[in-house]
Amino acid sequence: MADPSIREPPLVLVPVAVLEGQTIPEPLVEFLAPSDVVVLGYHVIPEQTPAEQASLQFEDRAQDAVEDIARVFREGEHDVETRVAFTHDRDRTVERVASDVGATAVALPNPTGEIRDVLVPLRGFVDVDRLADLVATLLAATDGRVTVWGLAAGGSDFDTRRAVDDAVATLTERGLPADRITGETSVVESPVRAIVERSGEFDAVVMGEGGESLFAALFGDEAERVAEGSVAPVLVVRKRLGE
Amino acid sequence: MGTAHETGTAPENANRVGEAPESELPATPGDGEVSVTEEGTELERTIGLGGGIAVGVGTMIGAGIFVFPGLAAGRAGPAAAGSFAIGAVIALLVALPASELATAMPKSGGGYYFISRALGALPGAVVGISIWLGLVFATAFYLVGFGNYAAAVLDEAGVAIGGVPVVVPLALLFGAFLTLLNVMGTENAAKLQSYVVGLLLTILVLFLGYGGLDAVGVFGTASTPERFMPFGPMPMFTTAALVFTSYLGFAQVATIAGDIQRPGRNLPLAMIGSVLVVGVLYVATIFVSTSAFGSARLAGFGETAIVEVARAFVGRFGAVAILLAGLLATVSSANASILSTSRAVFAVSRDALLPKFASRMNLRYGTPHVALSMAGGPVLVLVALGEVEVLAEVASFLHLVMYGLMCVALVAMRRDEPEWYDPNFRVPVYPLVAGLGGLSSFGLIAFMQPASQIIGLAIMAASAGWYKYYASNVALKGVI
Repeated sequence: MADPSIREPPLVLVPVAVLEGQTIPEPLVEFLAPSDVVVLGYHVIPEQTPAEQASLQFEDRAQDAVEDIARVFREGEHDVETRVAFTHDRDRTVERVASDVGATAVALPNPTGEIRDVLVPLRGFVDVDRLADLVATLLAATDGRVTVWGLAAGGSDFDTRRAVDDAVATLTERGLPADRITGETSVVESPVRAIVERSGEFDAVVMGEGGESLFAALFGDEAERVAEGSVAPVLVVRKRLGE
Repeated sequence: MGTAHETGTAPENANRVGEAPESELPATPGDGEVSVTEEGTELERTIGLGGGIAVGVGTMIGAGIFVFPGLAAGRAGPAAAGSFAIGAVIALLVALPASELATAMPKSGGGYYFISRALGALPGAVVGISIWLGLVFATAFYLVGFGNYAAAVLDEAGVAIGGVPVVVPLALLFGAFLTLLNVMGTENAAKLQSYVVGLLLTILVLFLGYGGLDAVGVFGTASTPERFMPFGPMPMFTTAALVFTSYLGFAQVATIAGDIQRPGRNLPLAMIGSVLVVGVLYVATIFVSTSAFGSARLAGFGETAIVEVARAFVGRFGAVAILLAGLLATVSSANASILSTSRAVFAVSRDALLPKFASRMNLRYGTPHVALSMAGGPVLVLVALGEVEVLAEVASFLHLVMYGLMCVALVAMRRDEPEWYDPNFRVPVYPLVAGLGGLSSFGLIAFMQPASQIIGLAIMAASAGWYKYYASNVALKGVI
């Protein structure tokens, strides 16, 4: 069962806006089945509402809804933990729970069909070991394909060729057959926009968090913008703590 | 009374319609980033130290600087600065015990929560219900202040209002608008509040810095020294009772205790810090204002006296800057108070002292619309009366009762420390601080106008009567 070539078994956090009727598409559940999953049902409340007050009224409903989602995941063989949170600030809660449970990735659900083609865009630093552990685990029992795509903005000194080769090598090391991996590089104007535009050709996107920048502070971080813009679900690989 | 219940059987620990207090209160694990309910649901604490101070300062600053200087100088002369200083000392004496209690019980509800847990349901109900109404009086007072500033802005802009009194209609309109805004959900209200407070503090520090230098004679001639206590010492104390409304905000920090991160550290810092900040600003404002004009002229300018002071220093530009600051400050005070009122109503109704219906949330907006209406509705009625001084004093009266009882609650808690009582912050020499805080809180009430004292007592008696009628079987002491 446990693949000896996988160093760190992946743990995926799946945040769900649980009282707004958000659900996890069936194909995504199947795709994530090989990894351990934590389902976080959250509900964002306006600042004038005390969290205690919201939980008094909606706690049972939220718990039930999260349980329903977890039940679907539990049909697989792996562990599913559930968390329920009421918050004024979604990002803070997702970040806190992710580091609390030691999640290696966070899933941003989007509707999808069966997941066969996975896009792994590289556009700067990403924890390649974690990323490879995740992708290799998820695709091990399928015949799904991976496209590793190195993107550099014009004028950036990011060595896309080297990053792609490194990622492809690590994926192979983790047991993914080389004939299911494709490596590509591009120079583009805006990596985020390029990823969003290409996401339609794939069934899922796996990417790193992206760095902190002024732009990220103003418009949300890159992974979130990709998730909002694209039609495919996005798995965001988290940095290791202390890095 | 409870035994003569209509159904013949008195329900245990429930109110007249059979609702029991909600016992599933969240516990807070060590890191203070989140509370966890019995069923394991996590409640994220999202307000940091800055946000807490913004709530405290934002609630307080509107009144002390932008409404009171003229009124206070008219009553006490330059000694009004002393009145504000007395207020600051009393507020600090209460803020210390409040901080200890809040770190031991970081739940929404603030003073009501501490008193009902330490002293029992009857004092709790009296405080809880009268603090709801006390906040209603305070909000009405801030809104009338807003009306004055809005009218002055219209005047400055040259809009002819033809002698029609516009203060009360403007205040009513805006009060209704704020209530509606809160019901519909303004997601970034707290962040906005922080920016507003930051901007206000900047304007004030510039203004007071310039005014202070001017008063001691750096620019031009030193201004006319006036006798410090033209009317003797007594008005200094009665004025302190009046202007204490400018210090009510620090306890509002405790009403949002359930949402504050690391409450053990941030609650005491936010409460004590905000009292210190506004105390210094108030005393400086009075000093600068009474130096610029004699206190008699200052009194003649009424609620917007500070605008005339700014005009005297830097002309029209100064006047406009302070007018805008005044609008912001009174809005932020009114808004923060409406939110606190809604939380006060929630805390009391959660404990079944008011119908549970009052803490219902709106499904569409996720806001406590009933509690918000129970804040906004009565506020509008009071605004229509327009009696600034009485509104302010009744608000102070009801808060001072709570403050006094908080000091008593601290002593009660420390006397027989229950097992769950484990505050992060402990008041040094607590019998002295709590004793002085309690005495001065109750003492200040004695200096109020008889009308305010009668209204205040009537509200307390009505609250006690309601408890006896509606919820006399509810037990809260030590229920944590």
